[in-house]
Amino acid sequence: MKFISDLNFRIRALFQRKAVEVDLDDELRSHLEHEVDKRVRAGAPSEAAIRGARAAFGGVERIKEETRESRGVNFIENLAQDVRYGLRMVVKNPGFTAVAVLTLALGIGANTAVFSLVNGVVLRPLPFPEPDHMVAMTGGEYTKGPFSFLRAQSRTMDVAAYADEAEFNWTGIDRPLRIAGASVSANYFSALGVAAEEGRVFQQGEDQPGTDRVVILSHALWDHRFGRATNVIGSRIMLEGISREIIGVMPAEFRFPSTKAELWVPLHLDPKDIGDFWYSSYMPVIARLRPGATIGQAQAELAALRKPMLAQFPYPLPADSWQKAGLTSLQERIVGDERVKLLILLGAVGLLLLIACANVANLLLVRAATRLREVAVRTALGAGRWRIMRQLITESVLLSVLGGAVGMGVAIYGLPALKSLLPADSPRLADVTVDGRVLLFVALLMVATGIVFGAAPALGASRVDLTNSLKAGGQRGVAGGNHRLSKSLVVGEVAISVVLVIGAGLLVKSLWLLSNVDPGFRRETILTARVTPDETFCEVSGRCQTFYSDLLGRVRALPGVTEVAAVNGLPLGGGGEVLPVDIEAHPTRPGAHNHLLLEKLVTTDYLSTMGIPILKGRGLNDLDASAHSQWVVLVSKSTAELYWPGIDPVGERIKVKFQDQWRTVVGVVGDVRESTMAVPLESYLEGVFYVAYGQQAVQGSGTETPPAEMTLVMRSSQENSQIGAELHGIVAGINHDVPVTHIEPLQGRVIESVAGPRSTALLFSFFSALALALGGVGIYGVISYSVEQRTREIGIRMALGARPGTILRLIVGQGAKLAVGGILVGVVSALALTRLMAGLLYGVGATDSLTFFGVALLLFLVAIAASYIPARRAMRVDPMTALRTE
Amino acid sequence: MTNRNIELPQGTLDLLILRTLAAGPQHGWAISERVQEISSDVLRIQQGSLYPALHRLERRGWVKPRWGTSENNRRAKFYELTRSGRRQLELEKSMWRKLTTAVAQILDTI
Repeated sequence: MKFISDLNFRIRALFQRKAVEVDLDDELRSHLEHEVDKRVRAGAPSEAAIRGARAAFGGVERIKEETRESRGVNFIENLAQDVRYGLRMVVKNPGFTAVAVLTLALGIGANTAVFSLVNGVVLRPLPFPEPDHMVAMTGGEYTKGPFSFLRAQSRTMDVAAYADEAEFNWTGIDRPLRIAGASVSANYFSALGVAAEEGRVFQQGEDQPGTDRVVILSHALWDHRFGRATNVIGSRIMLEGISREIIGVMPAEFRFPSTKAELWVPLHLDPKDIGDFWYSSYMPVIARLRPGATIGQAQAELAALRKPMLAQFPYPLPADSWQKAGLTSLQERIVGDERVKLLILLGAVGLLLLIACANVANLLLVRAATRLREVAVRTALGAGRWRIMRQLITESVLLSVLGGAVGMGVAIYGLPALKSLLPADSPRLADVTVDGRVLLFVALLMVATGIVFGAAPALGASRVDLTNSLKAGGQRGVAGGNHRLSKSLVVGEVAISVVLVIGAGLLVKSLWLLSNVDPGFRRETILTARVTPDETFCEVSGRCQTFYSDLLGRVRALPGVTEVAAVNGLPLGGGGEVLPVDIEAHPTRPGAHNHLLLEKLVTTDYLSTMGIPILKGRGLNDLDASAHSQWVVLVSKSTAELYWPGIDPVGERIKVKFQDQWRTVVGVVGDVRESTMAVPLESYLEGVFYVAYGQQAVQGSGTETPPAEMTLVMRSSQENSQIGAELHGIVAGINHDVPVTHIEPLQGRVIESVAGPRSTALLFSFFSALALALGGVGIYGVISYSVEQRTREIGIRMALGARPGTILRLIVGQGAKLAVGGILVGVVSALALTRLMAGLLYGVGATDSLTFFGVALLLFLVAIAASYIPARRAMRVDPMTALRTE
Repeated sequence: MTNRNIELPQGTLDLLILRTLAAGPQHGWAISERVQEISSDVLRIQQGSLYPALHRLERRGWVKPRWGTSENNRRAKFYELTRSGRRQLELEKSMWRKLTTAVAQILDTI
C-alpha cells in the first residue's frame, strides 16, 4: 500500500507537474494569508502585516525547492527543467552554439570514424564459430610436407593450410580470365567451421592426387559469372588446363584468406613429388583447437612434434629449424600489423578530442563570466551549489550531444572516405561498419566529453561570490581563478597540438624519404602486363620459350614501343623464385641453413629496359638464353659484396641446389628494391641473381619447365591504354587461351608500395592539422578575451604614454608565453610518446631533432599569429573610450 | 535561557505533525500555530521545514490532503491522518517515549 501511494504520488508529481506546482503555490499563499489575518487581528495595519508575514515566512523559492525535493521526483524534474533551460540557452546563443557544436562534432566525428575502424578490424571477432579457438602457426615456415605431418599427428588441433595469392587461368570461355583464388587443404573449411551456401565444402582426402579436381566458387563469382544458377553444382570449368568439378559455392560473407579470393581449389599434396612436397613455397598454417584442448597444450604438442617432423625431411635440415615455432590467435595473425597503426590513429583523434574539449571549455569559461550575475541571482533565490553545477553540466552535455549527433553524421559520411584512404589490401576492411558497439562508444563519448569540458567552468561558476558579483553591477568581475584555468587549458592544448604535429611531421618525413628512395630502376614510361599461359602449356618442352619470344617480337614491332622484356616477377613485391644456392667459395656447413637467393628469370633486354645499371662485367645476351651454351648468372651489387668482398666476382661460380650445372658469374648489376621501398630484400633472403630465360633453374624435381607466369615490361612513348588494347590483340593472335592481366604503369607500383605509409601519414596529418587549427583558435580566444578584459588597463597605459608598439608587444608576448609553455610540455611529452610509433617510421628517428625543432617553431608562429589579431585590436584602443566605458 | 525557542531534534517534526493531526484535519499554518501554542511558544516550526515535511508525509501515505475552508473562511489545504498514519504515530510515540525515558534515566542517574 505504502509503495503504491508513494509511486502514485511521484507519478502525479511528475506528470501533473503544473497542477502540483499551482497546488503548492496556493498552499503557501494560503499560509501567508492566515498569517496576515492573525497579524491584522492583533491590530497591525495591513501593510505592516503583509510585510511582517513575508519576513517571518522566509524565502518562498527556497521552501518550494525543498518541498519539491521532498516529493522525490526532483531529480528527473530538475533534469527536464535543466534540459529545457539548456536548450533555451543553446538556441539563444546561436553563434556560441555553432562554434561549440562544430568543434565537438569534429572531435567526436573523428573519434567515431577511427573507432569504427578499430572496432571492425581489431575488436570484432572473426566471422567464424568460436573464433577464439582459431590459432595460427608462428616462428617458422611450413611447406606441404611439414604441414601434412602436423595435420596427421596433432591430437589437440585440426590443422589446415592455405596458399594464398594464387591466380588461375580460366579458359574454355569466350575470353580467358585470370582469377584470384587460394589452394587450401581439404579440411580448411571444416576447421574454420564454415559451410557452403550451395553444394558442399571439400571432404577429407580431396587434397590427395587423383581426387583433387574440384573447385568451390565465391558468392561473387557465382553471381557475376553464373547468375546464381543452382545447376552450376556438378558442372566443370577449365582451370590452368585442368578440368575441375564445381562442388560448392561459399556464402557472400566468407572472404578468407582475402577479399580477393574468388575460388578455392584443394592443395595438391603429393608426397612423391619431393621438391613440391618438401621444398615448394611456404604456406600459412592455421588450426582449430579441438574441444577441451588449450592453446598451452597445443604449444607443448607442437614443441614435442618438432624433432619427429625434422626427421621426416628427405634431406637434413638445420638443427634449429622451428626452434621458435609457436601459436598465436588467428585474429592476431590477420590484424597484427594493423593494430599498432590503428591504435596510434585512435590515440591521435583522442588527443584531438581533448583539444576540442579544451576549446569549448574555454568558450564556456568566457561565457561563464558574462553569466556570473545570472548564477548569482539564482543562488540568491535559493539554488544550491550542486543544483547550479548540475544545470551547467547539463548544458554542456547538451552541447556535446548536439556535437555528437553532428559528428556521427560526419563519421557516417566520412567513413567510406576514410576506408578508401587505407590501402586496399588492409585486412578486414569489409567488417568496418557503424554497429551497436560504435553507437555505444559515441554515446559514452558524448556524455564523457560534456562532463570533461563542462566540469571546470561549472565548478568555477558555482563558486560565485554572491555579494561581490551582485554588487559589481554588471561589471565583468570574472574570478582570477577562471582566467588562470583558461590559460592552463590553452597551454595543454598547445602541448597536445605539438605532440600530434610532431607525430605527423615524423610520418610525413619518413614518407618523403621513402618516396625518394631510389628503387634501383627507371620507373617512368614503363608499362607492365602479366601474360600467363596455363602451367600445363609450358610443360611441353620449348613451347613457352617460343610463345614468349614470339610475343616479345610482336610487341617490339608496335609503334611507340622502344624496348620490351619479360621477368618472372616485378620488383617491389618480392617477385621471383626463391632458391637454395651453393656458392663455390662459401660452402654451407652441415646443419647450417642454405643460402637462399632470389632468382630473377629475365629475357635478355630486361636490364636495359628497366634501366638497371651493369656495374661490372657484362649483361645478358641472346647466347645466354640457350640451355646449350655456357650457364651464366648476374648478381646484384650487395650479393657480390656479401660473398666476394673486395674480390671481382666475375668468373666465380654458383649452383642451384639439386641441379648439376655450375653457373658462372659474368656481371654485377645495381641493387633493386625487390620487396618494398623500405625493405630492399626479405630478411630470409641473402641475395639476388639474374638468369636468362632459357637457362632457368626450376624448383623442385629439376624438370626444366619454365615458369608460365611472366610479366612484360615495355618502355614506350605511346598512351598506356592504347598499348594495353594492342597487347590483348597480339596475345589472342598467338594463343587464344592466354589471359592478359594487371596492365599497369610501373610508376603505379612504386606509388602503391608506399600506400600504407602514405595513408597513415595522410590521416595523421589531417588530424594534426585540425589540432593545430583548434590550438590556434584556442590561443586566439584566450588572448581576445584577455584584451577585452584589459581594455581599461590598456587605456590607462596609453593615456600614460605607452605607444601602440608597446601594447602590441605586451599582448603578443602574452600569447607567446602561453605558447612557449605549451611547446615545452608538448616536446617533453612527444619525446616519450613518439617512441610508440617507431615501427611506422622509415629513415627517421622517433626523436628526430629537425622535426621537433621545426614543429616547435611552427607552433610558436601560429601562436604569434593567433595573438597578433587581438593585439591589433588592443593597439587601436582609444584611451578616452576605454576609460569611460568602465 | 536567552533563546525562547529551541531547535527541534532531528525526526521529531514528523511526530509533532502527526500528533497535531490526530486531533482532526488541519492546514499547514494552523499546524504550526498549534504546535507553538501548546508548547507555550517553546517550539516553533519553520515554514522551510513544515511544507517539505507535510509533502514527505503525504508521499509516504500517512496523511491525505484535501482543500477546504478554514475558520477564517479562507481556502486552505487540510491534511488528514490516514490509517497507516495513525499506526505510524503510535509507533513514533512509543519510540519517543522510550528515547526520552532512557535519556532521562541517564541524566538522573549520573
